[in-house]
Amino acid sequence: MNLTLVFLFRKGRLRPVFALLILLIFSGCNPFSRGGDDKVFRVNLSTEPPSLDWSLATDHASFNVIANLMVGLADFDKSLKPVPIVAKSWNVLERGRRIVFHLRDDLTWSDGKKVTAEDFEYSWKRLLDPKTASQYAYILFDIVNAEEFNQGKLADADQVGVKATDERTLEVRLKHPAPYFLSIATFEVTYPQRRDVIEKHGTKWTDPENIVTNGPFLLASWKHENEIQLKANPNFFLGKPAIETVEMYMITEKTTSLALYEQGKLDFLDNYSIPTLEKPRLSKGPGFRRVPQLRGEYYGFAVDRKPFDDVRVRKAFAMAIDRSVFPRILHGGEQPATSWIPPGMLAHNPKIGLTYNPPEARRLLREAGYPEGKGFPRVTVSYNTLEHHKLVAEAIQGMWQRNLGVVVQLENQDWKVYLKKLETDPPPVFRSGWGADYPDPDNFMKLFTSLSGNNHGRWKSPRYDELLEEAAREMSEKKRIRLYDEAQKILCETEVAIMPLFVVVESTVLNPRFTGLEYNSMSRMVLRHVRPKKVSSEK
Amino acid sequence: MIRFLAKRLLHGLAVLWVVVTLTFVLLRILPGGPFDSERRLPPEIMANIQAKYHLDEPWLKQYARYLAGVAQGDLGPSYKYIDRTVSDIIKDTLPTSTLLGVLALVFAVVLAFPLAVAAAAYHNRWADRGCVFLATLGISLPHFLLGAALIWVFSLKLGWFQAARWGSPDSAVLPTITLGAMPCAYFTYLLRSSLLETLGEDFIRTARAKGLKEPFVLFKHAVRNSLIPVLTLLGPLFATLVAGSFVVEYVFAIPGMGRFFISAVTDRDYPLITGVTLVYTAILVCANLLVDMCYSLVDPRIRVR
Amino acid sequence: MKLFQRLAGEFRRNRLLTASLAFIALVTLAGFLAPLISPYSPGGFEEQRLLEVPSAAHWLGTDELGRDVLTRILYGARVSIAVGLGTALIALLIGTFYGLVSGYAGGALDSFLMRVVDIFYGLPDLLIFVLLSLFLGRNITGVLIALGLITWVRFARITRGQVLQAKELIYVEGARAIGASHVRILLRHILPNIFAPLLVTLTFSIPAAILSESTLSFIGLGINDPYNAWGTSWGTLAQDGWRAMRTYPHLIFFPALAIFLTILAFNFLGNGLRDILDPKRN
Repeated sequence: MNLTLVFLFRKGRLRPVFALLILLIFSGCNPFSRGGDDKVFRVNLSTEPPSLDWSLATDHASFNVIANLMVGLADFDKSLKPVPIVAKSWNVLERGRRIVFHLRDDLTWSDGKKVTAEDFEYSWKRLLDPKTASQYAYILFDIVNAEEFNQGKLADADQVGVKATDERTLEVRLKHPAPYFLSIATFEVTYPQRRDVIEKHGTKWTDPENIVTNGPFLLASWKHENEIQLKANPNFFLGKPAIETVEMYMITEKTTSLALYEQGKLDFLDNYSIPTLEKPRLSKGPGFRRVPQLRGEYYGFAVDRKPFDDVRVRKAFAMAIDRSVFPRILHGGEQPATSWIPPGMLAHNPKIGLTYNPPEARRLLREAGYPEGKGFPRVTVSYNTLEHHKLVAEAIQGMWQRNLGVVVQLENQDWKVYLKKLETDPPPVFRSGWGADYPDPDNFMKLFTSLSGNNHGRWKSPRYDELLEEAAREMSEKKRIRLYDEAQKILCETEVAIMPLFVVVESTVLNPRFTGLEYNSMSRMVLRHVRPKKVSSEK
Repeated sequence: MIRFLAKRLLHGLAVLWVVVTLTFVLLRILPGGPFDSERRLPPEIMANIQAKYHLDEPWLKQYARYLAGVAQGDLGPSYKYIDRTVSDIIKDTLPTSTLLGVLALVFAVVLAFPLAVAAAAYHNRWADRGCVFLATLGISLPHFLLGAALIWVFSLKLGWFQAARWGSPDSAVLPTITLGAMPCAYFTYLLRSSLLETLGEDFIRTARAKGLKEPFVLFKHAVRNSLIPVLTLLGPLFATLVAGSFVVEYVFAIPGMGRFFISAVTDRDYPLITGVTLVYTAILVCANLLVDMCYSLVDPRIRVR
Repeated sequence: MKLFQRLAGEFRRNRLLTASLAFIALVTLAGFLAPLISPYSPGGFEEQRLLEVPSAAHWLGTDELGRDVLTRILYGARVSIAVGLGTALIALLIGTFYGLVSGYAGGALDSFLMRVVDIFYGLPDLLIFVLLSLFLGRNITGVLIALGLITWVRFARITRGQVLQAKELIYVEGARAIGASHVRILLRHILPNIFAPLLVTLTFSIPAAILSESTLSFIGLGINDPYNAWGTSWGTLAQDGWRAMRTYPHLIFFPALAIFLTILAFNFLGNGLRDILDPKRN
């Protein structure tokens, strides 16, 4: 006989289960939810942060949590210039080869200890230590002996050019003058760390019960794949934030996060949480903002193979794209661009680059031996599988067909497969992009030097390399602008190694009950100034 | 019985081993590595990372290292979630998946039971047709469409339930219904046909001839004897509900394990994929074993082979 | 054949069954004639008519690149139907052959073959899908292979079970006694016996495959190759629509309806066939 179930039914063992279900259904009907509280601010983080260890984090979800837990030597002002925060001042000595940071003395960690220069020295050396295996270690390679230490050629960490000369002085020696180094000091991976905490807890040091931080918020709880809670730090040296609690949810589906926002259960959505096609509607409502990013999209050419080894062909293709189409199909207010350094960065110059000019494009293609596209070889345009890359590729395919008479094949691949392909066998035309690690043109332009691992098209220009090398060591802004202008002209105008397409603009919506949220051009969400708009709510 | 158990267990372990090996090999021949990103890493930094995770060793050595770890219950580090091990991640997410699976299963059984009994009691009348029709609707709706429809109606239009934010009771309602609808439909079918079969058998006729009331016959005799096929379905179904709820997890942002079957593959997080696959297969093997055991306990006619 | 006469008779009597079959025929026909009957071209980029709601010119509206939704659904029909039928047939061929061999041979070979089936059952379906879609790309061939690989084991198990039963039948034993060849016994005596359960399984695996494909598309692993006339399934359309559900509900509603009604029709058909072919019914 059917013993188990008979037993369960007879003894009424299933009754609690029924009761639970009924309770569940009825509890749902009565909305006693937590919404409408001025002290609680709820944002969508989209994904689980892979790591809250700022020596190991690499992605925007992690950095968006870390940036609200911690402060570093420097911070950006509104125009992305580095300004002191943990440091109260700094001196650049020996024509940029030595930088001395002077630290404030009123800054404490969440456990009450003072933030000292040793905490920085420890953190930077930990970042460089080959055993840490940090992906961002190279960001400090301008420091004397840093690269050698990271490669394991130098075992003695004491020879690395970063030293706490006393409790509140950090001295950094550089291999060569690096005008962008202060910008690097704003980057999360350079934030200080506590040797005692990390050595005591190992990989678990970022758990809420172990972590020690110095910023405006404290990590209160971390329910993996679900929710992170931050609490205002009452002892933060710039004053306790107005928001008591921040709840960060990890909702991946954009449609779902938008539904929650419109139900009033989330207060802020960033670009990763807003479905593309809903942007036009949201933009008409309150709280919507568009934030141009230090992030460019481009199409590159494999310049070492036919037909794109001919610069006339590359020019023709670049001139046959009407970039004003992109904001119309992508709905995010994307800014068409013909040059590579994005607006908001030093040496941005919109006058550089090849503009839309179909007759000239056709002429160049004819000159190259393909009149009206006749005889043009079969060419593939590749991109990684994502909706908006697909839309861009389809639009460009249409424009090339219309303006040049060339029909290209489109091909899309999974991200990692695509990356492997770019590395080993770059397609004739490929899509790529870049977002700034720190707001200096060096970070953007270095991509296309001969030895760069990100130079997928394998383009080589000795003059370009020279210009970049010089600009990276030049301390005068005026001279740097001149050098980068010339380099950009080579990259986008005379040699056309790449076709810049547009600058990415991110959309955000903020619940109109709140104000003060800063979202910067490197996708960083700064919550410490968030406050309710009205002092008292209607209730 | 013990011999049977030992044999099945051994067999289960063999399946696990093959599945792990297969996953291990397939992942490594897949193009693209776990640390490839838009920012291509300088070779020396890549070398540091590979050394940290022993990815610079030959495959066979990596494989031996992994198996040795698994044998000791260590599923390795996650490449993506740097500070957590695969065991940590599974510990965090498996209970959620299990809870959702149980909720869906309970929902399915609780709803299917009256439907099936009603259908069988009124065989070939409108109630029967209605139930069969409903059940067919249930198996014809993909999870994501049902989920989308439920969010549309109950979250956006009526505002009764939350579309996500797992943890509060009202966030569990929509995913439970979404996940439970299809098993519910299957149960209804199965129980109904099983009931109809039982109702045609001799002992039921005897019971009726004895003058027992129809509801009594139905519940006391027929239902009890019709549960075996449902029981058979329960095991594998539970495994798929626990691990196979990925779409529901995505749509309703539930912190479960199913999502890793996709995200960990696109991230090339080898240990994480192998880990969740291992857990899934283990659940499936155990569930089937349990069902077989119940089977032979319940009905001695079914010989253990 | 007596079976088909009986089926024909049942269909004449059961209106739901007839309606389902008619609907399936209609969808299949519409899909394969899509290039002839579609009002617009399935690809392209029409800047002037992005995201229009249903109108006289576009019965079901247009999408984010200005493509006609009705046209895309008609083209999608052939993809979804082809996936359903293709998967079912692939699985039927492989699974039946496998099950016949396994069940008929018995012994060590049978045990070995069944262990292989167990392993296929043990692998999560989703993992097989994800891996294959990465190896083979997101096109109809890749999805057919992936779905076929998952579905065939069901046929293999059913066939094997039926063969084991049929082997014990008196007339099979008789045939063996008079020295009939293995192939002859399999084809003449066993296969006809297992025809009915296979037909029912086949009918049910078609909607299951369509459903799986649409689910895969939803999580971004299904057929998505818009430049190909065989490149956009209903699942892909519904997924695109889900992303815009709040503002443009027509983008999800119509593809969803198409998926739902088609799967429903196949399931009704399967139910009907099962009832008719149920040996206990007579």
